[in-house]
Amino acid sequence: MLPSRHYPWEFALVEGAKSYMHPMYRGLLHLSYWIMWVVLVVIGRMGCQQYKLVEMKLLAQQRDLQAKLPDIEKCLDIVATLQGKKGSGEVRCLTQLILLTTLRRHIYSRAQIENTESVCLWLGANVMLEYSCEEATVLLQKNLENARASLEVLVADLQFLRDQVTIPQVTIARVYNWDVHQKRIRQGGAPAKDS
Amino acid sequence: MQQSGGSEMEVTWEDQQNINRFSKLNNRFHELEDEIRIAKETNDNLEDASNELILTDEEVVRFQIGEVFAHVPKDEVESRIEDMKEVTTKNLEKLEEEKDSVLAQMAELKKILYGKFRDSINLEED
Repeated sequence: MLPSRHYPWEFALVEGAKSYMHPMYRGLLHLSYWIMWVVLVVIGRMGCQQYKLVEMKLLAQQRDLQAKLPDIEKCLDIVATLQGKKGSGEVRCLTQLILLTTLRRHIYSRAQIENTESVCLWLGANVMLEYSCEEATVLLQKNLENARASLEVLVADLQFLRDQVTIPQVTIARVYNWDVHQKRIRQGGAPAKDS
Repeated sequence: MQQSGGSEMEVTWEDQQNINRFSKLNNRFHELEDEIRIAKETNDNLEDASNELILTDEEVVRFQIGEVFAHVPKDEVESRIEDMKEVTTKNLEKLEEEKDSVLAQMAELKKILYGKFRDSINLEED
């Protein structure tokens, strides 16, 4: 007894009806199968690519944030050191010679810092503000916490995206397997038909 | 071919969620491995620094804070390095703990998924 049910929606057909079905209707059945293949496999793959693009963007943002965090922590350190030395007078340190070209990053020169009342913080967009040490600590602390919070949000978004990519991948694999299975059944049925 | 098993089996929403959870844990595991490697390197660097400090006989040591080197008396440098070492060791312990828990959860999920799908699923590293 050869299997006459090749596509799931053929369950509606009467047993053996396909053999005397008009060729046009048989063509429509094949077309419907092809449409399902296109929708699930091809468009599913395109959807995965879109997700991959968004994932790349989020990963880049995450890398930036992860690089910014240690910077903020270092600034906090320096301000804390300056505050600590307030009592003991001057601070002697070696600072980098930051020339306008920024090519000479590894040249150092001696500097003596006597006034530890205020620090200047670079706020970005060519803006630098002078703060007292306490205000600077508060501001940097706030920036650090904001950065940490946005990093958490980013990580959660990335996890959601990965789930969305995994689900179509699993579905595509299942559709493919089902198709292979059906082809095998059909080939297994055809030799029996001939004999 | 053994794939015939795969197309007969139903994949429920729970199975899909297990697969998603496994993928999340796998990614977190790789991130943790990188973080642990970096933490170990930092720890080693601090060890070397403290060893050098013992050998040196200068009174004032240039200690790097951010991009600036500050002249700091030797004792203060010692205590700072001790503090930094404590922080990195605690961090390393926390990361190792998280890695162990992630591995345990992955093993659980592997058992469940292999039990249901046997050959139709591959959860190993390439």
